[in-house]
Amino acid sequence: MKWLRNTIEVWAYEMKCALLDEGVLVFFIVVPLLYPLLYAYLYNHESVREVPTVVVDNSHSQLSREFTRRVDASADVKIVSHCQDMMEAEEMIHRRDAYCLIYIPKDFEKDVAEHRQTVVELYSDMSGLLYYKAVLSSCTEVSLDMNKEIKAQLIPGATEQQISAFQYPIEYQYVPMFNTQSGFATFIIPAVLMMIIQQTMVLGVGMMAGEEREKVRKHIAEPHIIGKNPIEVLLGKSTVIFTIYVFVAVYLACIVPMLFNLIHIWRWQTLLAFMVPFILACVFFSISISSIAHDRESFIIMFVFLSIPLLFASGISWPASNIPIFWKGFSWLFPSTFGVNGFVRITEMGATLEDVQHELNALWIQTFAYFGISYLVYKRTYGKQLWA
Amino acid sequence: MKGLNQIWAIAKREQKRMLARGIYTFCMVLAPIVAFLFFTTLMGEGLPSELPAGVVDEDNTSTTREVIRNLDAFQQTNIIEHYPDVAAARKAMQQGKIYSFYYIPKGTTQLAVSGKQPTVSFYTVASYLIPGSLAYRDMKMMSEYASGGVGRATLYAKGYTEDQAMAVLQPIKMEMHAVNNPSLNYSIYLCNTILPGIIMLLIMQVSIYSIYVEMKEETAREWLAMADNDIVKALLGKLLPQMVTWALMGLFCLFLLYGVWRFPLNSGIWPMILDMFLLINASLALGVFFCGLVPSLRWALSLATLWGVLSFPISGFSFPMMSFPDTLKGLSWLFPLRHYFLIYVDQALNGLPLYYSWLNIAIMIAFWGLPIMLLSRLRMFLLKYHYTH
Repeated sequence: MKWLRNTIEVWAYEMKCALLDEGVLVFFIVVPLLYPLLYAYLYNHESVREVPTVVVDNSHSQLSREFTRRVDASADVKIVSHCQDMMEAEEMIHRRDAYCLIYIPKDFEKDVAEHRQTVVELYSDMSGLLYYKAVLSSCTEVSLDMNKEIKAQLIPGATEQQISAFQYPIEYQYVPMFNTQSGFATFIIPAVLMMIIQQTMVLGVGMMAGEEREKVRKHIAEPHIIGKNPIEVLLGKSTVIFTIYVFVAVYLACIVPMLFNLIHIWRWQTLLAFMVPFILACVFFSISISSIAHDRESFIIMFVFLSIPLLFASGISWPASNIPIFWKGFSWLFPSTFGVNGFVRITEMGATLEDVQHELNALWIQTFAYFGISYLVYKRTYGKQLWA
Repeated sequence: MKGLNQIWAIAKREQKRMLARGIYTFCMVLAPIVAFLFFTTLMGEGLPSELPAGVVDEDNTSTTREVIRNLDAFQQTNIIEHYPDVAAARKAMQQGKIYSFYYIPKGTTQLAVSGKQPTVSFYTVASYLIPGSLAYRDMKMMSEYASGGVGRATLYAKGYTEDQAMAVLQPIKMEMHAVNNPSLNYSIYLCNTILPGIIMLLIMQVSIYSIYVEMKEETAREWLAMADNDIVKALLGKLLPQMVTWALMGLFCLFLLYGVWRFPLNSGIWPMILDMFLLINASLALGVFFCGLVPSLRWALSLATLWGVLSFPISGFSFPMMSFPDTLKGLSWLFPLRHYFLIYVDQALNGLPLYYSWLNIAIMIAFWGLPIMLLSRLRMFLLKYHYTH
């Protein structure tokens, strides 16, 4: 059992190193602890409400005022001003006093009275898509309601049921699933949580590896490594990272969603069976990639910016079905791609292990592949000099 | 004249240092170019089309099959499978195979014909916001269309003209205009801020690295000595080659956005070149500022990283500023990317006269005030401190 004793020796020493290195601790503990809190604070409001909107009402009629009043009463739109003409309204939008414009034509009420279709025009500033969504959905809802009432006058004496059947010979119902409020925090935070696990681990491990590289260049041999087999070093070190990240993952994957009331309908067995290969894949991925760390700091610069492309490559924003095959292949190199998708489906959509089989397989393949690469890296690093 | 010569000599020294280390080439040329190409080609379609969708058609009549065919013909929807029941479709959704499904219960056609108003449903996955909302749009339109189709047929049978029928079915109609991005192109909406954002993040990090690596390698005194210990000259010389490289990368970014992908550029290119140069200089200023704040490569880098990564949500390009907590609205002024985004919206997107952006331009210039406050402190750090970790 010499190998086990050697492994434990490496583990104990490396654990001490990691816990005493404030630079490493920032990535392993501080960032994972604080970053989700920051994000939850940012997206506190979840959705866009009361988008400031201006109205140009050329109809000046009772019906147009009724329409405006109802739109104003909706949760997503707030009428901030009634403008004389389009010029004035556009100026308000240019000054960012409003983001949307509702234009009601002169013949609005007359058209309706004389059974002609009338068109209300909506304009949205496209600096944000959510303004567009807010004004369109609110105005559409109001117009559907008003249309119903207008039609009721067209068929005097009809019952509610008859009017409804006339309006909608086929009724329809929309069921948003899982993220039922279409909340922005619910959408982005779970993905960010998985990203944090991978990225902070890569940065911390990279920093440790960079320091070793610096020492090797200065011919400082680390005592605990002398006489050890590369596989023992690898096992010892990876277990250190794994141990730390078990705690980090419990916090990020379990406590944070509960703390902020994000949707979490997982079964804990499923989550556990998924998170273990994810963390393992991240561990060996970090060790493999850390082989290019030249010194303690350079790795930070090379890896932080990648978080943003990787978040997009996971398919959480731009749909995975429409990612060009070349970039899809690129995204398969990173555990985060599968981690994000699996985690979102398990926590928000109640997916079972069998539902995330594809992601699970990929993570295990990555674990073994990156384990192999890590072994080669360690053999090259330590094999020649110290293991004799 | 002597001052200029010194700056030039330091710049040449810096250029040599940059060429000697792979990290500069990687972070200043390779990484930005790959990131630019990644984002612009990832979303090259503009609006994702043919999103996988499912159908549960329990009725299975010629009418319902017609509805499904029509739905499949919509640009954003691609029906990949028919499922026997809602549970199976829901399963497929949990497996990530489809983003939405349309459910037509048994007897729908029969009920519709006899005027008993059946109900169909559509389900979309809201955990993936973009495909979810696009599927919603298509399926809602399809439902209106199907319902309207039956209604129209009834009215035509009664001798209504098309105009008359529409006036009865939909007396008030909404017409939406997405100003300056009529196709709701996601690439326009995201790339215009993400690409400059990546430049900003890398600028801050590289500038900090280049300054404090001198402390780490104990060459800081040699560097400052070349400028007679004048920190201003020393910094100008050091940052000059970086500024030139970033300016070229910034121009390449603008070329890609407005030259290759032809994104809206209603202001002409000059205001955007100004915007990009302001962003580059503000980011450099912030980099130097963080160096003056903490005398440690690692801590200065950590601050820059935090600032840089937070810039993306805080710039307000995806989730608008109006819905952020009030404290953050004030704080957002301290992020150059926020100003870049606002200038971009006024200029390239909406084509307003430059004076609408004067405040943001002024603040971008004011970022230079930040490092000036800390210059003597930074000089002291460089001359007296040693690298520790």
